[in-house]
Amino acid sequence: MIKRLLATALAATITCGVPALTMAADEEVNVVLFGMPYTNGLQKLAGDFEAKTGIKANIDVIGQDVFENRITLSFTGATGDIDVVHTPVIQVQRWVAANWLKPITAEVDAMPVKADIMAGPLDAYVINGEQWAVPYMAATGLMTYRKDILEEAGVEVPDTWEDMLAVAAKIHNDETAAIAMRAVPGQGFNMFIFPMVMRAYGGKFFEDYTGGDLTPAINSPETLEALNVYMKLLNDYGPQGAGNFNFAEVNAAAQNGQIAFALEGTGIVAQIVDPAKSKFADKTGIALPPAGPAGRSPAIAVHGLGIPASAKNPALSAQFIEWAVSTETMTKIALSEAFSNFTTGPVAQNPEVIEKYAKVHPDFLTMQADALNLAVGHYRPLLPDWPAMGQAIGENINAALNGLVSPEEALEGAEQDMKDILGL
Amino acid sequence: MSLNSKKRAGATFELERGYRRMIVPAIIAVAIFAIVPLAGMLALSFSDYHLIRGSNGEFGFRNFIKLVNDKRLMNSVYVMAALSLFGVAAQVIIGTTVAVGLQKIVGKWRLGRVLFLIPYAVPHVAVALIWLSLFTPTLSPINAFFDLFGITVPSFLTSQYGAIFAIVVADTWTNFPFAMLIILAALQGISPDLDEAAALDGASRINTFIYITLPLLMPALLMVTLFRFIDSLKHFPMIFVMTKGGPGRSTQATNFYAYVQTFQNSNVAYGAAIAVLLFIVAAIISFYVARLNQRVSS
Amino acid sequence: MIDRSPEYRLKKAVGVTMMLVLLLFAAVPTLWALLLSVRTPDTIFEPIWESPLAVTLDNFFKITRSDFPSALMNSFITAGLSTFFSMLVGVPAGFALAKSRVSGKFIASWVLLLLRMAPPVGFVIPLFLAYVNAGLIDTYTGLVFAYMTLTLPLIVWSMWNSFSQVPDELIEAAIMDGASLGKAFLLVALPAARPGAVAAAILGFLVAWNDFFYALIITRSSTTTAPVAVMNFISYDSVDWASIAVASIALTLPILPLMAIANRYIVQSLSGAVKG
Repeated sequence: MIKRLLATALAATITCGVPALTMAADEEVNVVLFGMPYTNGLQKLAGDFEAKTGIKANIDVIGQDVFENRITLSFTGATGDIDVVHTPVIQVQRWVAANWLKPITAEVDAMPVKADIMAGPLDAYVINGEQWAVPYMAATGLMTYRKDILEEAGVEVPDTWEDMLAVAAKIHNDETAAIAMRAVPGQGFNMFIFPMVMRAYGGKFFEDYTGGDLTPAINSPETLEALNVYMKLLNDYGPQGAGNFNFAEVNAAAQNGQIAFALEGTGIVAQIVDPAKSKFADKTGIALPPAGPAGRSPAIAVHGLGIPASAKNPALSAQFIEWAVSTETMTKIALSEAFSNFTTGPVAQNPEVIEKYAKVHPDFLTMQADALNLAVGHYRPLLPDWPAMGQAIGENINAALNGLVSPEEALEGAEQDMKDILGL
Repeated sequence: MSLNSKKRAGATFELERGYRRMIVPAIIAVAIFAIVPLAGMLALSFSDYHLIRGSNGEFGFRNFIKLVNDKRLMNSVYVMAALSLFGVAAQVIIGTTVAVGLQKIVGKWRLGRVLFLIPYAVPHVAVALIWLSLFTPTLSPINAFFDLFGITVPSFLTSQYGAIFAIVVADTWTNFPFAMLIILAALQGISPDLDEAAALDGASRINTFIYITLPLLMPALLMVTLFRFIDSLKHFPMIFVMTKGGPGRSTQATNFYAYVQTFQNSNVAYGAAIAVLLFIVAAIISFYVARLNQRVSS
Repeated sequence: MIDRSPEYRLKKAVGVTMMLVLLLFAAVPTLWALLLSVRTPDTIFEPIWESPLAVTLDNFFKITRSDFPSALMNSFITAGLSTFFSMLVGVPAGFALAKSRVSGKFIASWVLLLLRMAPPVGFVIPLFLAYVNAGLIDTYTGLVFAYMTLTLPLIVWSMWNSFSQVPDELIEAAIMDGASLGKAFLLVALPAARPGAVAAAILGFLVAWNDFFYALIITRSSTTTAPVAVMNFISYDSVDWASIAVASIALTLPILPLMAIANRYIVQSLSGAVKG
């Protein structure tokens, strides 16, 4: 009897497994992206692509945490089930080093849209002379401030971190804290924001990144000074619990009027100043991130679309990418979603797009362009080991912020971790 | 006589063969589903496989030697121990209190029991997200409520002990009903006559509980404690969602540290070595639990 | 004997207060999720007393248009099937382990516990590679197999306990009367251990329903389970708290009636298990 049951069981499991395993057919592209305004918008337009080319696009948009784990394994197993993959510039070095991506120089050269794509973000995907992905967005960092609070205190918008410390001391109270920034450890969390302070003070990750000397140099007096500023702002003038804030908490605090300043990525800034999302939007202004002795260094994060090395039909993949970054598609998404940081140039000239973002905030588009012009491409080092290093540095910075170690110990620890990861 | 006993022996043999046939499918299933990946893990832990750099084909004890000097590993063991010990203790104490309360005070009101069971039905990912918002001062209704009276609730997720406390609270919230269920079951097995007899003898209710009920609950308490402890070594979603291992590295339990090495640092071989270590610890603990269970049930 | 002394009343009051505090602890997060699920986007983190009327059912409609309902369905199918197959294999095994005289029972119990305890992080990569080779990635079959590593040890272990409480004489008598072992198991032992079987099935289902890690690793778009789909509401630059709350409720509701109906069985079966 048991044998019969077992046989039935096996038969049943095997049959119910079959339909779920759909391999890429000839006329299908499987696209895996993580959730952000552009990708959500793209997903809704999948029908357009099919109408235009007759190719069915299965666009899967998942959470970032889920994405990173899955993609690592998919690449490792060379499963070939992904034709187009979301490629953040911060990961591309690692993926190329591991042979997970397919070089697409020829494919991109053949795309007429190439001439319209902003050169900086496009070049960010050139490694060893080959193009590895096509950008669709370049986010940068901006500061938001509450005009009413500054006016009431009779202070100007701070231009440097020095000014910021002084202003923060003046306006901070129990009702509204002065400032919030990301603090949760992670290369995309506190390490997206902290380098804006660090670079303003002249801190650097390596002895000479552009010159090719990759000796870790984060344990420097400059970085220490920056870390002290960052810590003082968040510990003395931040909202309660600031040491565990991520973008979501910063966003919520700003939208609910709990903070006067926020230093955030443009994706979040767009939500903070959007009257449809925040009741304080009309009282909120935007400015470039504060400068320091070594100048001003807004953050930069570029995202694009690449083709996995194991993709079955790269020609179809390239066709999809060309459609996804076209002026027409981008314009549609810029109008339907909160997507202002597109990298296909002509979208910015579309009158409807201009009108839409002027309504959100009159200075938004120009301010964003200014910040992008100031940003250095290697804001976060473009190295295969960066994701691991960024995580380790972020953990040390966060530990110092929350008083678990001294700032000196944190930088020492960060430098040691960098050495360990590089195998030095 | 001898024929009869031979016949019985034959029947027993037949019977035992029948029993064995019932066990074999389970053994096969376990072997396929568990042994194969475990063997793979063991092989990886001796290798030098790195997701980006690949492998030079070297095999040896390198990873294990590195483990001995790894300060982060020691830290992770402390974190794991703290999370498990405090979490399990809180779950058992709250679970027992609620079970006793349900029986003595709430009585037969079935809905009361279901109300306490709700947290057990919420999946851990959702539990972690809900508690994350409750522990974030600017989002939390608890902070907003106390603010009305001018009381500032401290922020937990920004200090080492606070973050461990927060994870323990979330873990306790969703798991105390399990302890409650088992204790409730054990309580129902205890005859009410005993309580009454003690009351007639003039013993106070608290004394009755301590000297009569509690000793009878001991096997159940032991069982709950061990089972919760076993599960608590696998802490993952709470840390992954609530703290990402922070502040600093103060909530990176060993399981989470293995994840960090494998997925974030791409060091698959080293991650596997940490996992092997955890597996050995699990094997030792489960050996004692199995022994204990054997003794309790015989 | 009804005690009405002031001392007794005081103690009763203390007891009732304590229960209410604990009930508050149990209920606050649930109520908070319910509240989040009906708030409008711009008031979601405002204290309810500041804008009590800003409620909406949009969040519920919105989630029906996302991938979440199909993920919920996937969770049902995979948790259900893995429980079913684990019961099919595990119940007879538990019976045999409880009643036979095979050697190695101690090792069996050790292995069962160890499997429950083993950290999945370590063997996820080998498992993944094996799945890639077997073509099991993103299939129900693959997920059901993976969940059986969680549910089978649990079910065998608890059925072993449940069958231990069924008197040996009952089965011996049935066999003396000429019943085969299979019949004795199906017609005598199983009915006697019914509460235990219900409890084991429900606990097994819960373990699979709760899983996050396996589904994270071995599913793709077509078999994503609900706990993973919840994480998809956390995107690159926003966290959709309202949808997370709705999803949490949707994940809890199906379990609740199951719990309510079955808690009697669970208590019954466990009370035997821990008495023994």
